[in-house]
Amino acid sequence: MKQTHSNTQSPVEKSAVLELNGVKKSFSVPGGDPLLILDIPFFQITAGDLVALEGQSGSGKSTLLNVVSGIMRPDSGQVLIGGLNIVKLAEPQRDRLRADRIGLVFQQFNLLPGFTALENVLVSMSFGSQVSSKERAESLLEAVGLADRFHHKPAAMSIGQQQRVAVARALANRPRVLLADEPTASIDPSHQQQVIDLLQTTCREEEVALLVVTHAPEVAEQFPVRHRLEDFNRAAAVHSTTNGVY
Amino acid sequence: MSLLGIAWRNIKQRAFTSGLTALSMSLGVALVVATLITGGVVKQAFESGAGLGYNMIIGAKGSPLQLVLNSVYLISKPIENISWATYTEFLPARERPDEQDGTWAASTHTAVPICMGDYFRGHRVVGTNSTYFDRLTRGNGQPFEFSSGTNFHDEDLYSAVLGSQVALTLNLQVGDKIAPTHGADDGKVHDPFQITGILARTDTPIDRGVFVNMEGFYLQDGHAKPIDSSENTEQTGPTNNDSPGKGLLPYNQREVTAILLETAALPGLPAELTAMGLRNAINEGRDAQAALPIAEIRVLLDLFVTPLELLLLLVTTLVVIVSAIGILVSMVGSSLERSRDVAIMRALGARRSVVLATVLIEAILLAVGGGIIGLLLGHGTVGLIGPWIATNAGVTAGFLSYTTAELLLVPFLIALAILAALLPAVAAYRTDVARWLG
Repeated sequence: MKQTHSNTQSPVEKSAVLELNGVKKSFSVPGGDPLLILDIPFFQITAGDLVALEGQSGSGKSTLLNVVSGIMRPDSGQVLIGGLNIVKLAEPQRDRLRADRIGLVFQQFNLLPGFTALENVLVSMSFGSQVSSKERAESLLEAVGLADRFHHKPAAMSIGQQQRVAVARALANRPRVLLADEPTASIDPSHQQQVIDLLQTTCREEEVALLVVTHAPEVAEQFPVRHRLEDFNRAAAVHSTTNGVY
Repeated sequence: MSLLGIAWRNIKQRAFTSGLTALSMSLGVALVVATLITGGVVKQAFESGAGLGYNMIIGAKGSPLQLVLNSVYLISKPIENISWATYTEFLPARERPDEQDGTWAASTHTAVPICMGDYFRGHRVVGTNSTYFDRLTRGNGQPFEFSSGTNFHDEDLYSAVLGSQVALTLNLQVGDKIAPTHGADDGKVHDPFQITGILARTDTPIDRGVFVNMEGFYLQDGHAKPIDSSENTEQTGPTNNDSPGKGLLPYNQREVTAILLETAALPGLPAELTAMGLRNAINEGRDAQAALPIAEIRVLLDLFVTPLELLLLLVTTLVVIVSAIGILVSMVGSSLERSRDVAIMRALGARRSVVLATVLIEAILLAVGGGIIGLLLGHGTVGLIGPWIATNAGVTAGFLSYTTAELLLVPFLIALAILAALLPAVAAYRTDVARWLG
């Protein structure tokens, strides 16, 4: 079930970097029946896609990202990253796969406060299979316009600069797909466009598929591929009025 | 970036609490080190006094330990004297007025008399003769050496030899004169003795001693044994008129505090058996007791020094354990902050075992850092109190003094730190990534 709102690319010509088949995830509720958050029959992203995924609060965006990144295991279904079903993997293998193939950019950036910009990128490299490369870390930071901020800690950088470090860090291990969770939500409107441009440009240059989760239509409409979570997550349709964050 | 690098940056990030934790640990370690070293040198002080060229001490009946403390270590309350006649029983015919071997002469290799009771500016004065430095040793069979001057001659009545520590602290030199006081530092001042030699450092209690010619010592006020008429008749008998020379104290007015004895092996008997036999024979008599310094020192160590050392070690170990709990408190206290960092690292792909190891390495770094600073502080403390130890125990302890037990200290700290860090490490291991980053 792939929906394209604004592009004409043909998915059959590219291989899938991310594919979800029959994924279900529910949470237990004290004193009640389990609450189904994800019920996704099929979802796919192919190599090089720049995808925006729109969803209202409570539609299961965060849970979807946690399941896709292997942080959470779904109750059933398949999550294929580059053809590998990560649901079958043990947690340490999922951790390694996440380090190697998935880049994450968070709404709150989540930089390590005790580490400099360069160290934040390097520390991400140290969890992957590849040998840490200071040159690559530096070139990534240069690519996001932080050539003069290598040795600054997050507290000494602006919000926009911190988000740039987060983008550089997410790309450090040459992932197949970059998952960005509301990457512009904590940034003032004047800098939001810069972050969107940065994500799209760097992902194109690195040939990484990009999945940006957002609740903002003005962000989603700037992406060539645009989905609404409620359209392919059956559970979201049911709980669309719930205000909780899942 | 290595796990070590990550752990080090975590420590730097919480520099204040990490610093306080390491400081508390270092103070504990410093206390342990200072205790171990000073305990070690005090023990060494007692043990070093046991190899000075004599294996037996003869003195008045009473506590053998006090006899040893007085004679060997020049400490403890003064003891009673024994008669000159008792002393002469250890001398060969050529050294006795009656030209007959003393009762114990055959079992005696060397007998050195010492007389005590005077002081010189806080130091014990020992009246003796030149054989003390000619025949005895400064430990391990090494002969005495003089850093300046020479041993006194017995015919120079008012001559003296100083231990190195005395000369150093009182800034005295060969040729200077010293006037001992009777019974205490504020006692009656005796005639001055001229220093003929200053001993090289021996690291034994001798360094704290002031040694004067016994013949001059006897001539000081209050040193001659008072003689009443009945005693004169009964005890001195034929030796009453055997004065050793003009102007010297008659034998029957003399006493000695102790005799430092090196026993000789009787024909057909090992030296140890000769010594045991001699000791038993003397102790069965009424005039004196014989004490074996090594045995008494062993008793002393077992009774007082070792338990005291163990007690101090126990207290200081508790201090270190409290410091380790400090690591635990510090790490648990920062667990909220840590949980977010751990969740970030986990989201970036760090395995649970990696974040667990990072927390443990952090604790180990704190322990090693605190341990090294503590070792330096402990040695520094010993270096500072070294002169005081040297003055009071006669043993030099400095910054570089060490005990082998120190080698176990850092591994012990590391084990303790790992134990203390297990709780926060397991908490890190269990961190719910989705919860912290949601």
